Amino acid sequence: MDSLQLGSYTFSSRLILGTGKFSNADVMLDAVRSSGTQLVTVALRRFNRDMAEDDLFGPLSAMEGITLMPNTSGASTAAEAVRAAHIARELSGSPFIKVEIHPNPQHLMPDPIETYEASRILAKEGFLVMPYISADPVLAKRLEEAGCASVMPLGSAIGSGQGLGTADMLSIIIRESRIPVIVDAGLRSPSEAAAAMEMGCSAVLVNSAVAAASNPPEMAAAFAGAVEAGRRAFNAGLMQRSGSAVATSPLTSFLGTGA
Amino acid sequence: MITIQLNGKQETLPPGSTVETLLPIIGSDGKSVAVVVNDHIVRPENRSSHLLQDGDHIEILVFAGGG
Repeated sequence: MDSLQLGSYTFSSRLILGTGKFSNADVMLDAVRSSGTQLVTVALRRFNRDMAEDDLFGPLSAMEGITLMPNTSGASTAAEAVRAAHIARELSGSPFIKVEIHPNPQHLMPDPIETYEASRILAKEGFLVMPYISADPVLAKRLEEAGCASVMPLGSAIGSGQGLGTADMLSIIIRESRIPVIVDAGLRSPSEAAAAMEMGCSAVLVNSAVAAASNPPEMAAAFAGAVEAGRRAFNAGLMQRSGSAVATSPLTSFLGTGA
Repeated sequence: MITIQLNGKQETLPPGSTVETLLPIIGSDGKSVAVVVNDHIVRPENRSSHLLQDGDHIEILVFAGGG
């Protein structure tokens, strides 16, 4: 499989894994390992003195070949997201930032105006900005022009498992985009991840689909296989659809023709 | 004593407290945490010299699971 280029970073895996909602840190780390991912998302939160198992950073940063992509979840304005990005970079040392600004907890849809503004500022500051957006081709183009490293349109609502509901818009974004397009959010099954890759997405980001599986490490491996299959299929070039049957075997009659 | 806001909660500390002396009090070894005082990040190399003042707003942040 060909590699994924984001800024000056090259990744052989095209699966990005989120680390939320796992039953415990060990399961999460097993899933990260079996996914073969090289880029994982983490969130910032307040230190809690009453919780022993607080630190994800230690075990994740000790894993070979893993780059962290902190998100700005919890921010509801561009200013808050920029502040979160600065703090996250201080902690992670990683230039990646997933700009995620969703002010309404009911639907978690990204705020396009605040997301654009935060992304513009952070790209100018040298971050590798990965904005989580609705599947909006106009916004995706504007973010590309603002210097983002990728755009990450949603397949469907975060954590909903409703799959590639935005497929038509994703196709436009992929066709128009000169930066990697990464489907983020809404995927439920590996076949959906494969479908996204076959369409020409550069990578997929999954979290809930793995974390909420009965066996997260096994599901992570399944997604890895699907993402690779989809990418290889895309590179191989899918056949054209035809409105009618096209025979694959010779139809020349030779049985019962009395020859 | 000085009064500070730590992660949204009021705390009292002895005068002369620094970011470095605060961290063990709240059970942090100081690794893998980011410290923000009045919206300014205090980098690890400045923690021992950063004196806390009455009324400071301090945020101590860590990475947690997220998508």
